[in-house]
Amino acid sequence: MVQRRLIPSYIFLIIVSFISVFPLYWMMTAATNTTVDVARGKIIFGSHLAENMSKLLAGQNLWGSMGNSFLYSLAQTLVAIFVCSLAGYGFELYHDNAKDRLFAILLLAMMVPGVATMIPLFKMMSKMGFLNTVWGFMLPAISTPFLIMMFRQNSRSFPVDIMEAARIDGLSEFGIYWRMYMPVMKATYAAAGVITFMNAWNAYLWPRVVMTDPKAQTMPMLIANLAAGYSVDYGVLMLGVLFCSIPTMIVFFVLQKQFAEGITGSVK
Amino acid sequence: MKKKIVSVLLTATMAVSLLAGCGSSAAPAADTGAAPAEEAAEAPAEDAAPAEEAADSGEAADSAAASGDNSLTVWAWDANFNIPALQAAADDYKANVDDTFVLNIEEQSQSSDVENAITLAGSSGDYSQLPDIVLFQDHYIQRYVADYPDAWVDVDDADVDWSDFGEEKLSYSTIGGKHYGFPVDNGTAIFAYRVDLLEEAGYTIDDMTDCTWEKFIEVGEKVYEKTGKYLLSMDGDGNDLFYLMLQAEGQSQFKDGQPYITENETLVEIVNIIHEMCEKNVCYLANDWSDYTDQTIMGDMVAGVMNGNWIIPTIRQVAENSGKWEITNIPTIKGGGGYAANGGSSLYVTSNCKNPELAKKFLAYTFGGSTETYDNALRNGGVVTCCISAGKSDVYNEGVEYFNNTPIYAQIVEMGGHVPVVEQSDFHYTARQYLAAAMININNGADVMSELQNAEDQLKFEMEGAAQ
Amino acid sequence: MNKKGKSIGAKQRRAGWIYLMPATILLFVMSFYPIIQALITSFRTGPSSRMKWATPVYWNYTRMFQDKLFMRSVGNTFLYLLIQVPIMLILAILLAQILNNKDLKFKGFFRTCVFLPCATSLVSYSLIFKSLFATQGLMNSILTSLGILKENYNFLGNPGSAKAVIIIALLWRWTGYNMVFYLAGLQGIEYSVYEAAKIDGASPWRTFWDITVPLLRPTIIMTFIMSINGTLQLFDESVNLTSGGPANSTITMSHYIYNNSFGQGVANFGYASAMSFFVFILVAILAAINMKVGDTRD
Repeated sequence: MVQRRLIPSYIFLIIVSFISVFPLYWMMTAATNTTVDVARGKIIFGSHLAENMSKLLAGQNLWGSMGNSFLYSLAQTLVAIFVCSLAGYGFELYHDNAKDRLFAILLLAMMVPGVATMIPLFKMMSKMGFLNTVWGFMLPAISTPFLIMMFRQNSRSFPVDIMEAARIDGLSEFGIYWRMYMPVMKATYAAAGVITFMNAWNAYLWPRVVMTDPKAQTMPMLIANLAAGYSVDYGVLMLGVLFCSIPTMIVFFVLQKQFAEGITGSVK
Repeated sequence: MKKKIVSVLLTATMAVSLLAGCGSSAAPAADTGAAPAEEAAEAPAEDAAPAEEAADSGEAADSAAASGDNSLTVWAWDANFNIPALQAAADDYKANVDDTFVLNIEEQSQSSDVENAITLAGSSGDYSQLPDIVLFQDHYIQRYVADYPDAWVDVDDADVDWSDFGEEKLSYSTIGGKHYGFPVDNGTAIFAYRVDLLEEAGYTIDDMTDCTWEKFIEVGEKVYEKTGKYLLSMDGDGNDLFYLMLQAEGQSQFKDGQPYITENETLVEIVNIIHEMCEKNVCYLANDWSDYTDQTIMGDMVAGVMNGNWIIPTIRQVAENSGKWEITNIPTIKGGGGYAANGGSSLYVTSNCKNPELAKKFLAYTFGGSTETYDNALRNGGVVTCCISAGKSDVYNEGVEYFNNTPIYAQIVEMGGHVPVVEQSDFHYTARQYLAAAMININNGADVMSELQNAEDQLKFEMEGAAQ
Repeated sequence: MNKKGKSIGAKQRRAGWIYLMPATILLFVMSFYPIIQALITSFRTGPSSRMKWATPVYWNYTRMFQDKLFMRSVGNTFLYLLIQVPIMLILAILLAQILNNKDLKFKGFFRTCVFLPCATSLVSYSLIFKSLFATQGLMNSILTSLGILKENYNFLGNPGSAKAVIIIALLWRWTGYNMVFYLAGLQGIEYSVYEAAKIDGASPWRTFWDITVPLLRPTIIMTFIMSINGTLQLFDESVNLTSGGPANSTITMSHYIYNNSFGQGVANFGYASAMSFFVFILVAILAAINMKVGDTRD
């Protein structure tokens, strides 16, 4: 009886899930077909996966780009969640009027359009010698108002009383953050990590500007590589897209539960 | 003040990264941050490359060090086209001139990446990231030399017989009487037809040679009626069509540095012809570049292709149509063969080049007219030379099976000599873009003259903006 | 919250400042300093290597409003904003509401499916949609074989349908992302509140409006601001999916600004900066209005 009431819900969810997943399924089938088959709209798995793979490996530095993407994204994620959680922690648990005002100013940074800052940032990076380095890649994206806000919101659930207790026990201010805050906020870190990793992994416009050296190429740039040129091989392209999508999907699958918990804390 | 902020920031972020436990990967880059830019540029090779790559990049560094002054770096963007050509040149030079020579070819994802990097370098006044030599499309160099004069080294004194190149091709890279570039690929336009489909409609390739657009439309209608294929397709977004048709008439979208659109009767007539072709299913305007190549050409929608000859590899992708194609010149309004060029590129030496003499020597020896370079460039990349004497080699005169065993490459080089020089402008692509937009609107039913007026106004608006 | 403030000593206050310093300095150096640079550049003209002050200094700004193409890009962007954002957010709330049902089975499976699109990169999904909606593409084959279309339709070649494809692509990519926030917000609401509403005999519709929406308000505001911000800065879809075409009918503000910075060899940084500053102000105003409207509690 309960089940019958839910039938419309199931139908709706099945339709939405199908729409959500179908393009991804199609991407996978395309990766196993020739470019002509893809262009003609074939939607079943073909037998050209190995061929596409060898073409991809021959034409592009796949493992190098995967490695770069992985390294840059991981570095950005670790640094970003550290810097932003520290700030969110400071803003919420040590808050006073001056800090609240500063926070409001920082929120403005969320509205700064990427295209506007690209040229000044490029000049800055080239002066500092950060072009083609992990610094050039991540510096502009480490501190984001969104992450600071998320940590600040979630810090509200952090019990203040235990901070006092810890101080009495002689724990340093930083010790409180390191030993108590970080373990308690695990879920928030996971959620922030997932979001940052995805953003870093998928970043395209800015990396294209700072990472001019082919050795520093990332996955989205590799895909753009495949999609450009006088003629495009769609099978190979979709295989590249598949490789580019797998890591973010894995990250999401693995951290799914923590992700949901972490987000929950931020919207309470 | 700024320095202070930067140093505070540096210490802060460095400390942060060490604490966060990723210091091992990031710290080396920070150390070189204070060092000269050149060194910093080397850094990513070590800390960014993954483990599997480490051996490889170490090797590259070794060989670069060993060869000392004998290495050059070049940027190019198409692994199936211009990169094999550069490789051919490097092999040639290595085999015949200097066996210690090393050419590092760095692949960029698309031609616009090269152009963006130049714009960024020029705007920030920091040329240290540019390679010794860059390859980009011909229409940009005039503007780049005007805007960033200190980014380039002229190659006027290189040991090259410039008269061996087509005049039209050189007109781009000659600025103030000085040569700046070495022509690589030839942009000479071809009109390729499916002779089997023409035959079905009762025509031959000879009917198409030197024909008028009027006749072309007549044939096109027949072909569509009989076979369901369009006789012509084009990227409606970038619209090369106007440019090619105009150049074939010896005209340009510019006159005396000003847009020449609404008052240009030839252009207006061409717009009307295109409109008629689209109406009558003779011509199909694709949405964008990939739609043009992938859907119309590789998707086997057309019986004819007109573009720069670099389109040939795309045509050849459809293996089952081998032997069914042939090429000829392009139609004109009044008949008598038309010749045009579209989208060729050239190599330019940057001011960041550590050894400009070597660069000039290398380029002069190879792209200056070496048959070996050009033969292999054609074999491996399908790059057709602009150098008239190199086009006379045996390789060029071989029949090409895909094109019904006709010697199309010799044909192309020959046609290249007929391309008329027309007025160029820094706003070439801008003009094309606005005209393309006008064409789309006209095909959707808008008034011809008012759309062209719009395009002209927009173009003038943009040119005034840059001139202010 | 205030009781915390009282207990904070000078030493701890200093510790607090140290905590937020790295992030603050980074934001100032990486966001505020460049935007001020952009503001200064916006009063200058000429090729990027030798710019000079414009005469009059506000020249780029007056030019902006005479620029038909920029105005069109503003129009397009707002069209996406007005159509896509509401549909997406309503759909997201609806999905979250359905998935929040305790009796529902396979919840995790459905949630994962709906969220999956967010894991694809912007470049990837633009390419996927472009292929799906190509004239010879899959969508056309499906629609013609179902008899909905008589012949293949050029979705990306017609201004109206090209805009629709962009909106559909945006919905596909971002609905799941927003849903996760709502789902999280809903899970924060005690189930007993609903039990009470049920006992009072409130209809599901009333429960939704009277309980769910007010309790979700902070989440709604947050997602709204994020979506407005994201849509006004829309770039990748316009570039990769339609290249702004046909005839610039789908071009967005950021795309047009990018074209003026890099496209076609033109490096008109002064003008590009003026336009990006305009975008910055627009986003700030809309976000401020949003916060004011959303904050009707007091």
